[in-house]
Amino acid sequence: MKLLSLMFAALLLSACYEDTDVTLHEAGVYKGSDDKHAMSADERADVLKQRFNQVQTDR
Amino acid sequence: MARMKFLCDAERCIECNACVTACKNEHEVPWGINRRRVVTIDDGIPGEKSISVACMHCSDAPCAAVCPVDCFYTTDDGVVLHDKDICIGCGYCFYACPFGAPQYPQEGAFGARGKMDKCTFCAGGPEEDNSAIEVEKYGRNRLAEGKLPLCAEMCSTKALLAGDGDIVADLFRSRVVRRGGRPDNWGWETAYKD
Amino acid sequence: MKLIKRDPAAIISRTSGINRRTFLRGSGIAAGGAAFMSLLPTAMIEKADAAEGGQPAYDEGEISRVHSVCSHCSVGCGVVAEVQNGVWIGQEPSFEHPFNLGSHCAKGASLREHGHGDKRLKYPMKKVNGEWQRMSWEDAIEEIGQKMLDIREAAGPDSVYWLGSAKFSNEQAYLFRKFAALWGSNNVDHQARICHSTTVAGVANTWGYGAMTNSYNDIHNSKAIFIIGANPAEAHPVSLQHIFRGKERGAPVIVVDPRFTRTAAHADQFIRIRSGSDIPFIWGMLWHIFQNGWEDKSFIEQRVYGMDDIRAEVANWTPDKVEDISGAKEADVYQAAKTMSEHRPGTVIWCMGITQHTVGNSNTRALCILQLALGNMGVSGGGTNIFRGHDNVQGATDFGVVSNSLPGYYGLAEEAWQHWARVWDVDLDWIKNRFDQRTYEEIDGKKISPMYTNGITVSRWIDGVLEDKANIDQNDAIKAMVLWGHAPNSQTRGPEMKAAMEKLEMLVIVDPYPTVSAVMNDRTDGVYLLPATTQFETHGSLTSSNRSVQWRHKIIEPLFESLPDHTIMYKFANKFGFENELCKNIQVTGEEPTIEDIAREYNRGMWAVGYTGQTPERLKLQIENLHTFNKTTLRAEGGPCDGEFYGLPWPCWGTAEMKHPGTHIMYDTSVPVAEGGGAFRARFGVEHNGENLLAENSWSADSEIEDGYPEVSAEMIKELGWWDDLTASEKAEADGKNWKTDLSGGIQRVAIKHGLSPAGNAKARAIVWQFPDPVPIHREPLYTNRRDLVEKYPTYEDRRSFYRLPTRYGSIQAQDFSKDFPLIMTSGRLVEYEGGGDETRSNPWLAELQQDMFIEINPADANNAGIKNGEQVWVDGPEGGSIKVMAMVTERVERGVVFMPFHFGGHYQGESLRDKYPDGTAPHVLGESCNVVFTYGYDSVTAMQETKVSLCRVRAA
Repeated sequence: MKLLSLMFAALLLSACYEDTDVTLHEAGVYKGSDDKHAMSADERADVLKQRFNQVQTDR
Repeated sequence: MARMKFLCDAERCIECNACVTACKNEHEVPWGINRRRVVTIDDGIPGEKSISVACMHCSDAPCAAVCPVDCFYTTDDGVVLHDKDICIGCGYCFYACPFGAPQYPQEGAFGARGKMDKCTFCAGGPEEDNSAIEVEKYGRNRLAEGKLPLCAEMCSTKALLAGDGDIVADLFRSRVVRRGGRPDNWGWETAYKD
Repeated sequence: MKLIKRDPAAIISRTSGINRRTFLRGSGIAAGGAAFMSLLPTAMIEKADAAEGGQPAYDEGEISRVHSVCSHCSVGCGVVAEVQNGVWIGQEPSFEHPFNLGSHCAKGASLREHGHGDKRLKYPMKKVNGEWQRMSWEDAIEEIGQKMLDIREAAGPDSVYWLGSAKFSNEQAYLFRKFAALWGSNNVDHQARICHSTTVAGVANTWGYGAMTNSYNDIHNSKAIFIIGANPAEAHPVSLQHIFRGKERGAPVIVVDPRFTRTAAHADQFIRIRSGSDIPFIWGMLWHIFQNGWEDKSFIEQRVYGMDDIRAEVANWTPDKVEDISGAKEADVYQAAKTMSEHRPGTVIWCMGITQHTVGNSNTRALCILQLALGNMGVSGGGTNIFRGHDNVQGATDFGVVSNSLPGYYGLAEEAWQHWARVWDVDLDWIKNRFDQRTYEEIDGKKISPMYTNGITVSRWIDGVLEDKANIDQNDAIKAMVLWGHAPNSQTRGPEMKAAMEKLEMLVIVDPYPTVSAVMNDRTDGVYLLPATTQFETHGSLTSSNRSVQWRHKIIEPLFESLPDHTIMYKFANKFGFENELCKNIQVTGEEPTIEDIAREYNRGMWAVGYTGQTPERLKLQIENLHTFNKTTLRAEGGPCDGEFYGLPWPCWGTAEMKHPGTHIMYDTSVPVAEGGGAFRARFGVEHNGENLLAENSWSADSEIEDGYPEVSAEMIKELGWWDDLTASEKAEADGKNWKTDLSGGIQRVAIKHGLSPAGNAKARAIVWQFPDPVPIHREPLYTNRRDLVEKYPTYEDRRSFYRLPTRYGSIQAQDFSKDFPLIMTSGRLVEYEGGGDETRSNPWLAELQQDMFIEINPADANNAGIKNGEQVWVDGPEGGSIKVMAMVTERVERGVVFMPFHFGGHYQGESLRDKYPDGTAPHVLGESCNVVFTYGYDSVTAMQETKVSLCRVRAA
């Protein structure tokens, strides 16, 4: 009987599993995924400037 | 460093909704979500003006400031993006935004507010550039392809401009100078009333 | 943000062997290349290989970029489609394209949705016992074809009406007209009838051709921009780009309209006039112009006939009269006249506000006369810039999908038939036998067969069904109606149309979408739906409003079981037994006639309009070199198309070997004809009433005849001593012919070689003596509330026979409806939708923007009727129709005027017809069709419908 109640208690306690892999919130700190880019910001600026002049100007 | 900005030239905006539709097209935005919309003031009377509004990608973004889970970040070119995985759909960024940019899909039987969605300046989100998952969550990433937002590229009258703030300002300035002396400019009638 | 047809296997998962860092390291090397490649000209194939990292990795497969042209309005915006694995996955701006420079309006930006095909017709269907049943193409063609043959047997070929489309490509339009001719009837028409038919008639009868004389881009050079009866901000949004370019260079913009439109919001001067009072207004402007001597006297002397008669009429239109009748104040009219006179060259733009009236042909002519008086014709920045409607309404009109002509405006006389029989390589007698052999009409006392008489127009097809057959100038009433690419809710008298549809023995709809035709009637049987493809699932050319011809490449394969229009035509021709005549010199693959062969055939025959130089090769080359075209002059500067105008705008004279560059600005005598110059056509004879109709002291640059001259014929060339300039083979063909009928092109070539315009060098005529009103005069609309003016400015007398039908004018105007129906009712367009609307209302991106049919009503009228903004109201028309729509209270319309858009359909008199659509094809947005309340009224020359002015009453629901 005691063994059964011990096993039952263990069974119930199995629900108390806790995943330690939790993201803790720190105020003002971004914890989301990284957003890496192939081009650096400066390279992109040049490419986009050219694109702007090609597409959005009055020609 | 370039800082990406939108500018809608109210003298040229004719409320054609091309920008709204181009955005819907490019990112397959579902019915009910308006990343971009055109606002018209004084509809139907002389002085009617229209302007196209979406996320303004603020330098000091109020949405980012109030987000309780800090899911926002700003890229190197000044584009304000957020991570939908972290977003809890609380709606606080909508309260904070002066332009009403954050949009929420209606999900579920109880109309629960879903993950926030907004204009991304066609720069996708925090997933691999141009991956299927980025397209599905955030829409296409045109900046990674070296292109500018489709709304501005397809604007029927080139009223909506998008690009590096300095370059956009240069273009707009040249327009103002070319138009100079016309009653279009605000205040002209006040200064030079007949 | 899901994209359709994603391959789940292609999703790169986080737990896969590739991690982001290694992936991006690889792509970093080619990053510059990826950006560079996206800036290259169109029609490039780019490999999307993840290992190279040079392309989007969200799916596998090559992404090809295909160039096409938007299928909505006549601006003709270039479209770049990205296609991967046969799926249309994206649109890019065609930023090198001269017309739109990458821009679109809402409709252009939404084109990709055609490739989604959510609401498209998927397969042929017929209605059986009130239910839609699927059928196969074979069964459909067999059943429909057989029924038509039975009707032909019993009632004659004229009892089947072939209503074609402005959305056909040029090749399809040409083939359709040929098809109708070989079927044996002139009962063929398309949207131009109800759109710009009065423009074509009025303008062509003034100076030769009835098309836009300059171009959208040319407006950059305008010093003044006068827009009357047009709302391009909603109907042609990308044209505003060009209008703004002109405006920002200093051109004042004047907008004249009954409504304060979105275009008016950008105007420097807005003048509100009463609907239907355009002639008083225009004459009012001319009154000031003549009064102050602002007219261009030397231009008038050299190139205009009959201006004195106009002066006499204009003298009647003093400012007080103009104000009384049109509502425009003297100061405003004077200002407008002064602006136009002091800022030359100025351009005049008009659309439906001018054309859709019983006096539409007079309205259009009045505007031509205004520009002639100011000397604004034949110059860059001037001209009458008529904005056409659908993407290829210009082409469909040019190719004769009309009841009163064969392709190329040759008309229906014996000579026209002879010409086309030669081009088609079909025996003329065989064609004659296809027609009804009986006669009904008389010309000059001689009875003529229906082969030579104008067919019934689309605006009157319902009368062709409902009218007593004894009163129709053909054997029997219309028994079978084919609505091919044409919606029904853009024509007036909805309740009568419903009745007509129910009276027919068969109704056939050929369209990518079911259209309102499928649901607006209560038929339980005898309705067929045949799925046609959109223009993105086929290829061919189209002609935009400025007469430029562009080539479309195919973007995707036909969706579901839809077939291109020309294939469907061939199938019918096969059933009727004349497929060999239809495609004698056109190769047919399976059942699809080859588009390029059709183009070459019309290149051999369209001499009168100048569609001979635009071969598929030349057009395709231009599409590949868009970046070489100057965006203001439209001329290629360098590159393989050097010197050509974009689209080789017609008239593009002679054979392709001659390499004529096309004519950008019509009637420009400062440029040699060989380089795109021209003169007013000598179309109306050499003299009239003793006065010379040929130009005086005005001739094209480099012309060897320094004077006016008639149309060029073989005789004339012989007289001038240039006959030996023709080659032997040209001589053999050209002998005894003229510039329109010489199939060798030698006459045109030699004429141009000597600096002559093949169409002659004449004066434009301000008086059109064949028209009911030789000098344009004001006539009140049929439904008017100015009863005091009806006596002095009455409409026409009723006619016994007009386009084969009795037509009423005076008997309707005689009745006073203004007490019960006090509000002036007008209709127009919205930017999000187009035409009948089923296509655009099925597009969720567009439908979301305009979800309700509405009526614009002034606050004063709303308060009088007890109506608040957003409430449902009933609108009643004087002919018995009633519709239930939402009220939009706005000051856009003045007191006593209401406005409705015509794009809605799918509700009828308060009831929704959603359930009547075949499953899955009902558009997202349905609404009442305003044409259920619009009324009888037809232009006196073309039978255009009067949809810009009628009467109604509005009451709370």
